[in-house]
Amino acid sequence: MKPDDKPPIDATARKPIVPNRLYAPYLEASWGFKNAWYPALFSSEVGENEVKGVTIASHDIALRRVKGRVHAIQDRCAHRGVKMSLRPTCLTDETITCWYHGFTYGLNDGTLKTIVASPDDPLIGQVRIRTYPVEERAGIIFVFVGDEDYAPAPPLTADLPIQITDDANPVAHILDAHVYVRGIHREGNSNWRIAVENGFDPGHLLIHWDNVIVAATDRRMGLGARPIAEDAIKIIDEPNGPRGMMNMYNTRAYKFFMENKVIGMKARGKTPYYARTSVYLPGVLLVEHWPVPGWAQYEWYVPTDDRHHVYWEVLVGHCRDDQERREADYLYDHFFEPLALRDFNDNDVFAREAMQDFYENRDGWNAETLCAFDESVIMWRKIAARFNRGIQDPPHRRGR
Amino acid sequence: MASEEPGEIERAGVPVTLRFEDGVEQRIVVARDEFVLDAALRQGIPLVYQCRSGICSTCVATVVEGAVAPAPGRAVALLASEIAAGRRLLCVSHAHAASVIREHYPSTLIDRRDSPEELAQGESATIRANVAAVEWPGATVGKLAIEVADGAGFDFQSGQYVRIKVPGTEQWRSYSMATTPRELPRLEFLVRMIAGGAMSEYLTRARVGDALEVEGPRGAFVLRPRRASHIFIAGGTGLAPILSLIDALRRRSGPRPPALLSFGCSSAEDFFYRDEIEIRQWWMPELRVRLSGGRAARAASGLLRGNPVEAIAVDDIGGVETDAYLCGPPAMIEAARRHLVGLGLNPERIYAERFVAS
Ligand SMILES: Cc1cc2nc3c(=O)[nH]c(=O)nc-3n(C[C@H](O)[C@H](O)[C@H](O)COP(=O)(O)OP(=O)(O)OC[C@H]3O[C@@H](n4cnc5c(N)ncnc54)[C@H](O)[C@@H]3O)c2cc1C
Ligand code: FES
Ligand code: FES
Ligand SMILES: [Fe+2]
Repeated sequence: MKPDDKPPIDATARKPIVPNRLYAPYLEASWGFKNAWYPALFSSEVGENEVKGVTIASHDIALRRVKGRVHAIQDRCAHRGVKMSLRPTCLTDETITCWYHGFTYGLNDGTLKTIVASPDDPLIGQVRIRTYPVEERAGIIFVFVGDEDYAPAPPLTADLPIQITDDANPVAHILDAHVYVRGIHREGNSNWRIAVENGFDPGHLLIHWDNVIVAATDRRMGLGARPIAEDAIKIIDEPNGPRGMMNMYNTRAYKFFMENKVIGMKARGKTPYYARTSVYLPGVLLVEHWPVPGWAQYEWYVPTDDRHHVYWEVLVGHCRDDQERREADYLYDHFFEPLALRDFNDNDVFAREAMQDFYENRDGWNAETLCAFDESVIMWRKIAARFNRGIQDPPHRRGR
Repeated sequence: MASEEPGEIERAGVPVTLRFEDGVEQRIVVARDEFVLDAALRQGIPLVYQCRSGICSTCVATVVEGAVAPAPGRAVALLASEIAAGRRLLCVSHAHAASVIREHYPSTLIDRRDSPEELAQGESATIRANVAAVEWPGATVGKLAIEVADGAGFDFQSGQYVRIKVPGTEQWRSYSMATTPRELPRLEFLVRMIAGGAMSEYLTRARVGDALEVEGPRGAFVLRPRRASHIFIAGGTGLAPILSLIDALRRRSGPRPPALLSFGCSSAEDFFYRDEIEIRQWWMPELRVRLSGGRAARAASGLLRGNPVEAIAVDDIGGVETDAYLCGPPAMIEAARRHLVGLGLNPERIYAERFVAS
């Protein structure tokens, strides 16, 4: 007997692999990728002896700075589950105490050192809450979020954009020695993936075409760009290093559209410019030569839960001395932040929040209709599916 | 004579300690002429087993101390080297003195099973399910997808199997899940088509919505919590639990270990699931793959000539810490076990599921 003697229910032979099957793990990652370095707060936001709470990919984390060093510890008391950061209580340099009944944990390993009202309790030494690896660099506190048994954590550089070298006047890397780093973060009311995909989307220039910064600098910004050659998108897969992809706007592999005759729309502005975008795991964007040549814009879309993220917008520039720092401060305060990080990027925030309902409630990941310039969106999804270090489970499923 | 009039101790049997992988110990008493497995089940200690006749090797354990030996005249599916290393099949072995036996799985593995009594009868919960799809990924392989009834409370671990009652008959057949618990309530199976086979025949007339009776989960072929490299060897539909294990490995907590999948079918024409394997290679940069198409495979097929066991070379063994998972017909498992031990693998780190015919 051969199974094809009689046509069974579905006699289809081998099916081609459809793209969304290849990136299925990305579609599962509503709560973000785990085992990755994420920015938690700016250094300036956690003063000496202060405690601040953050939530990253469903992990509630308390940050406390003692003698200059930041510790990251689970922000959920083992006793009754309250967040310790709600009413910070620190009685010694080595511990954090829960404000409710006084469970007191060692900052270094999370073990229960004492209970204020039960100093001989048998639980002492037996219970612990988890801690997280921390790196404070360039004025940002980064936390390695994910499985406690993911050890050792990879270096922070593995989760940051690459060092740019293929450019006559390369932008600075955020960890370079002489850099100026400043920025903002704000809550984004959308899933983190929607935000990442908007960040490097070559087809979305329409939302920016009349922005103040574009008009004021007389920028010749196209209506959009579309990959026309194989090498339009470069995959970045450094050994133990950053993994991601770059839109090669500096080559002829992308075609920029300056005019659409059907609707009679033309790019304005006379000053040519070039701002290349690249995106990395776990969701970090680099825009070279933005908001002005020589500067770089970094963006993170740090998942909070499956419907919110923290949108980080950080500018990085070369800066050798105090004189240059003062100049940079002036530019940042009166130009970069108001016109680039706020006015220009507000349009991106608007677009992301507008997409949320479709992707959350209307099966958007299956119902979307992507077009030619979305090739780079698809590529990002595939790369993210391949190179992530794990998919964050929703809190109630963790550990299954 | 003493043998006619057994003393107190002999009548009661000998004490045997069962030591599980997680450190838990259970003490049982094994009567003269009683098999160790039967004694454990009788005394409410659930152990994993399947055939209860020394064929499938599911019940394999290691004697650490004492004297445990197979009943005379029983053919036993173990290599001489394994017996020398203390391995015993508890379903056909007697204890001749106080002994300590090490089990190769944690005591928690079968906690979730309903009760020791049910286990002892080889029966666990029966649930209802419906056929969701039947497809033909290969010339001699059917894919059966079913959905278990809502609220049946069915759960399992990747690598386990269930028994399915062939509709319209009183016959039960065992099939390993090719999917993981994440895909519940959907389960998928890969079924080898056998001329005149009860389940094989059924698949050709199955219709979406057909009601099925399913019993399980069963089996101890599950992922061990280890970090060293993993080798998976699958023959034919033995790929089913291996795919489930690979998907579980990808989603497991902590850094992912390097892994090698060697999969083969008896001929290039019978080969199936190349796309499913390619997808997993994309998802897991650390997964290497070897595909074999039998003795007559030609280069144009993109498959290696030979079987998935021969495809493993000494360079593939990442040291004695390597774990190997084997699934397929008993002959393939025996060959693979011999081959891997020959390449220096620790026999205790070789886990297998044999697709023995019912
Ligand atoms: C733990 C376990 C898990 C299993 N998982 C799977 C699985 O995932 N996929 C799968 O395809 N099978 C699996 N099997 C085997 C499966 O249970 C059946 O034995 C097999 O599918 C044949 O069933 P059938 O009803 O089609 O044929 P049957 O009616 O059982 O057999 C028809 C005839 O073919 C003979 N026969 C049976 N098997 C073979 C064989 N392999 N080669 C040659 N002749 C044979 C029989 O002796 C009989 O004469 C598993 C077995 C075990 C013990
Ligand atoms: S809830 Fe924290 S001590 Fe009780
Ligand atoms: S149960 Fe012992 S060999 Fe099968
Ligand atoms: Fe934008």
